[in-house]
Amino acid sequence: MDDMAEIREFLRKLLALRGDRQPFSDTSSFFLSGRLGSVDAVELVVLLEERFGIDFAEVGFDQSNIDSIEAIRSLLQSVRAAE
Amino acid sequence: MSVALGATPEPGVPQSSGRLARFRLIPRVETYPKIVAFSQTIAGKLVLLALFGLGLSYYGDDWQLTIACLALIAFLPSRRRMLVTFSTLLSAFVFQWKNSSHPLYFIVIISLVCVLGGLLFWSAVLRPRSWFGRRPILFLLCGYAAFVVFASYFPRGSRYYQLIWDFTYILTTYVWFIGYSLLDRNAPDRDDFGLQLGTYRPFWGSTNTPFVKGAGYLRRIEARDAEQLAVTQLKGLKLLVWSILLSLFLDAFNRCIYVSLRFPTIPNALYLSANHRPLPWYACWASLIAQFFYQIISLSVLGHRIVACCRMAGFNALRNTYRPLSSRTVAEFFNRYFFYFKELLVDFFFYPTFLRYFKKHRKLRLIAAIFAAACFGNAFFHFARDLDFIQNLGLARALAGYQVYLFYCAVLAAAISISQLRHRGPAQTGFIRGQLWPSFLVALFYCLLDVFGSSDRSFPLTEHFRFFAQLFHFTL
Repeated sequence: MDDMAEIREFLRKLLALRGDRQPFSDTSSFFLSGRLGSVDAVELVVLLEERFGIDFAEVGFDQSNIDSIEAIRSLLQSVRAAE
Repeated sequence: MSVALGATPEPGVPQSSGRLARFRLIPRVETYPKIVAFSQTIAGKLVLLALFGLGLSYYGDDWQLTIACLALIAFLPSRRRMLVTFSTLLSAFVFQWKNSSHPLYFIVIISLVCVLGGLLFWSAVLRPRSWFGRRPILFLLCGYAAFVVFASYFPRGSRYYQLIWDFTYILTTYVWFIGYSLLDRNAPDRDDFGLQLGTYRPFWGSTNTPFVKGAGYLRRIEARDAEQLAVTQLKGLKLLVWSILLSLFLDAFNRCIYVSLRFPTIPNALYLSANHRPLPWYACWASLIAQFFYQIISLSVLGHRIVACCRMAGFNALRNTYRPLSSRTVAEFFNRYFFYFKELLVDFFFYPTFLRYFKKHRKLRLIAAIFAAACFGNAFFHFARDLDFIQNLGLARALAGYQVYLFYCAVLAAAISISQLRHRGPAQTGFIRGQLWPSFLVALFYCLLDVFGSSDRSFPLTEHFRFFAQLFHFTL
């Protein structure tokens, strides 16, 4: 499973836990739209830290950077480019 | 990145397909293509503004200025953010002019606080690698706390005593807004300070809690085209109508519960309890439950009105209060009851702790972050908000009298921690086991916690425990 597919699946499970089974695209907003809350953001942060080695204390945390699949892709690219 | 406007769910809303869930007291006019199309025309905008003005006039306070600002923004959407700043400054100054005995004096102090916000913002932007640039929020909050301590020990008879305290009061009303602009310092699409200023107690209304967060949030929820603007404004109008309906209900609730049925208020019940003339246990419950519902409805009225104005200005903000009684966990209630206060605690206390400390210990990390937000942050916010206690009682006595609310914060943080650490599995099925019972338990928890939810320092913690015991027919 590639990185984005893994993140997509993770988000799908988070949404399902909230009873949200609506489809989403790579540009769908999760947090700013209210589909996911800050508790879910924490779980996503932990995944990104553990699976992709992102240190948010270093790169700075902004919820909009993880608000959609596209935003997460950009975040991963910028972190990898900086390494 | 745009937010789907048409079907934006509210905070933590499970997608339900039941007939009851689909029922709408106010029709979803933002989904009717003809109405959306009409709302984009000049005549449509005028009708929307007229209806919105009519709704705002129900509340009676400064609605003419607000609707004038909204009209300006509605007809010049390309200048929206700049006009928000203009309207915010205008409304702040007009408010002082109309309501203050020394308007110029307070306008100067407000200007000084805004200049301070600007200096901090530019310092953080221009020197990102400096100690301040890396930890501006810590600097802001520590500096603010130090200033409150300084004010509390300033000699009472001194010439500058009143000036120091007036500055502290105004700074308190702006400190979290300045904080949000500092949080925006590293954003790639960061606004300059002129636009940040528009989020400092914006013209659509706010408490000390920033409604609706800061410039970073506004950029992302702003309507991008005429159709999104029309949909957002229609949602704003709907929310204002809902706010008015709730307000009417609240009036009826007050008349029925507190006038006709003469339910005691919690302060009255506590007073009688402290004077060894306790009310019967059922009367204690009645006062507690009545207050619980009163608080939810009154916060909904306030939040809906503010968010409605924000939406009317073209920002698709989430509601502040959204069906809190349907919450199935303690954490979910906190999110649904006062969304923007919860966001403040999360942004300023939870994430900084979570992302920095105990990273190797998953549970401890979460608990520490929850206590930083729901306990320390919550207590800090309310202690600083109620400055008159510090001014009148002195810092030490104000802190000692704060024991009741500190206890409230500690219990709340512990309950949220437990709620978050429990395994998050699929929800129980069935209406009673899956929804009604968990929601009842959550509401009961918050209702009981409200016994300790007072920050007015009237009675010590022991008196609150005495009242709590009376609910269960015990006498302490």
